[in-house]
Amino acid sequence: MLSFLSELKVPITNGLLLGGLYGIIGIGMSMIFGIVRLVNLAHGDLIILASYLSLVTMTLFPVSPLLTLIVVIPAMCVIGFIVQYYLLNRVLGKGMNPPLLVAFGLSIIVQNLLLLIFTPDARTLLTSISVKTLPIGSFLNIPVVYLVDFIGSIVTIALLSRFFNRTYLGKAIRAASDDEGAAQLMGINTKSIYAIAMGLAMGTAAIAGVLVGMTFTFYPHTGPEYLIMAFGVVIVGGLGSLLGTFLGGLILGLAQILGAHFLGPGFQLLSGYLILLIVLTFKPTGLFAKG
Amino acid sequence: MQLLRSSRLTGIILIVVALISLPYWASRYWVLVMLLFSLNLALSQMWNLLAGYSGLISLGQQAFIGLGGYALAVFSIYYGFPIWLSIMIGGLVSVLFALLMSAPIFRMRGVYFAIGTWTVAETLRILFSNWKYVGYGMGLFVKPAYSLSFNTIYFTALGAGIGSVVLVYFILRSKLGLGLMAIRDEETASETLGVDIFRCKLNCFLISAGVTGAVAGVLYLHNIFIQPYSAFGIDWTVRLVFITIIGGIGTIEGPIIGSLLYVFLQQWLSEYPSVSLLILGAIAIGVILVAPKGIMGSIQEKLGFEILSPRRK
Repeated sequence: MLSFLSELKVPITNGLLLGGLYGIIGIGMSMIFGIVRLVNLAHGDLIILASYLSLVTMTLFPVSPLLTLIVVIPAMCVIGFIVQYYLLNRVLGKGMNPPLLVAFGLSIIVQNLLLLIFTPDARTLLTSISVKTLPIGSFLNIPVVYLVDFIGSIVTIALLSRFFNRTYLGKAIRAASDDEGAAQLMGINTKSIYAIAMGLAMGTAAIAGVLVGMTFTFYPHTGPEYLIMAFGVVIVGGLGSLLGTFLGGLILGLAQILGAHFLGPGFQLLSGYLILLIVLTFKPTGLFAKG
Repeated sequence: MQLLRSSRLTGIILIVVALISLPYWASRYWVLVMLLFSLNLALSQMWNLLAGYSGLISLGQQAFIGLGGYALAVFSIYYGFPIWLSIMIGGLVSVLFALLMSAPIFRMRGVYFAIGTWTVAETLRILFSNWKYVGYGMGLFVKPAYSLSFNTIYFTALGAGIGSVVLVYFILRSKLGLGLMAIRDEETASETLGVDIFRCKLNCFLISAGVTGAVAGVLYLHNIFIQPYSAFGIDWTVRLVFITIIGGIGTIEGPIIGSLLYVFLQQWLSEYPSVSLLILGAIAIGVILVAPKGIMGSIQEKLGFEILSPRRK
């Protein structure tokens, strides 16, 4: 039993660290799902768009991918604001399907735009830390890039939680999400609040995109993979809880790495999808949903 | 009114005759274009049956396209079954899989249903690309299809296209169709009046899966090569969604117009497939914003003109 556990030490550590990355992939989608009641089917593609924006910035200024966030985060925030304000806001309140299908169309547009500009070649945001490992004790080596993902995710989620609980804007966003009518009566312009929320969500997508680009290779068609993963994080973690989203990420990360460990690398994605389907079937409100 | 109906009938018959006789007077290129049109029509009509009439936005139609294609490949290559039988088995396998999948998937609603179906298709894609029996990700060549002439494939595809329109027309005029329309108009009221909502939607889901699976067999007679990443790819459903939305979701004629537009755009921009998807995506978003009922839906609303009316006169 003990040897069995020590054999699993590496996959469990890697799974948890990777789960941190999934947490930040899902957090933007969770916010929009919770606040605007919209499933942003373009979320995965917008994350990959951020990866490409970082790539472009890196070719213009030879800096580390993490530093390109100074450019990529504001750019993605603006894109998110514009998309929500001029496109998605117009179909809100027209039933469930129009917003879903508009986001789906947006996803295809982003994908094919990336394909047109950047060709289908696989890219990666190469850094000096990409190949380094950090020895912990004598028999556990952690890829440094996984550790960066995990820390980046925790920091972002902590900042977001502070923002939602302490600032006026954060409270206004929560109010608009709780009761749109009452928030409007209190003088909150919910339409622009939604646009700001989307801008914020795209800011987290920017961080996710840069971390994804540093950790894995990406090409224009990887978006949907991260969309399903983000949706998995949201579903497993439950709506309306930042911590739940983070835990959802950890569960999916663990499931994937353990699946790959026992069944072979081809099944890494599969075990994540199966967990998602199981939770969708038996507890679609999520494992850590409030109320 | 009688005159209008008979002239409408004459028009439909003329178009059908023209399509059937196409290989005898048109160039091979036009036959190919109409072959692609027919296949897209059949597949998008089935998505329309789900999304337009049953309110089920499925993003997992590619699951049945892949299953139908692989059934054709496996049964015709490995077991030497006749091609037509293999295609029928593809339809049957799709229905059975849809039935199996409906147990969990029908517990999900709206957005959950959309992503649930998509995830099931992605799961199949990974399973098939890790399955030795079907040649992993390398795929299979449907060699037996070489014995068929191009015209045979065209006639089969045309049959599938026309058949799908006829099928949806009769479904809508049947008891099932009445139930669907009642659900669409007022779900709670229809339930109290005795419409079995679950059964209506499930029947649509199964019909759509079966037809999609069988049509996929015909599709892969034409494509010859099947590979998990393309067969179970979301691109199929993207195409069906765009065709149906642009043509007019929830109308029988919508997928016809949409498929025509799609095929012409695809041929026109055949060297730039990503540009044609880009344009289609933009048009689809524009349609949802400006005319949510699509081309045919808007025409019907303005002129009160329907070529194929599901209503009883």
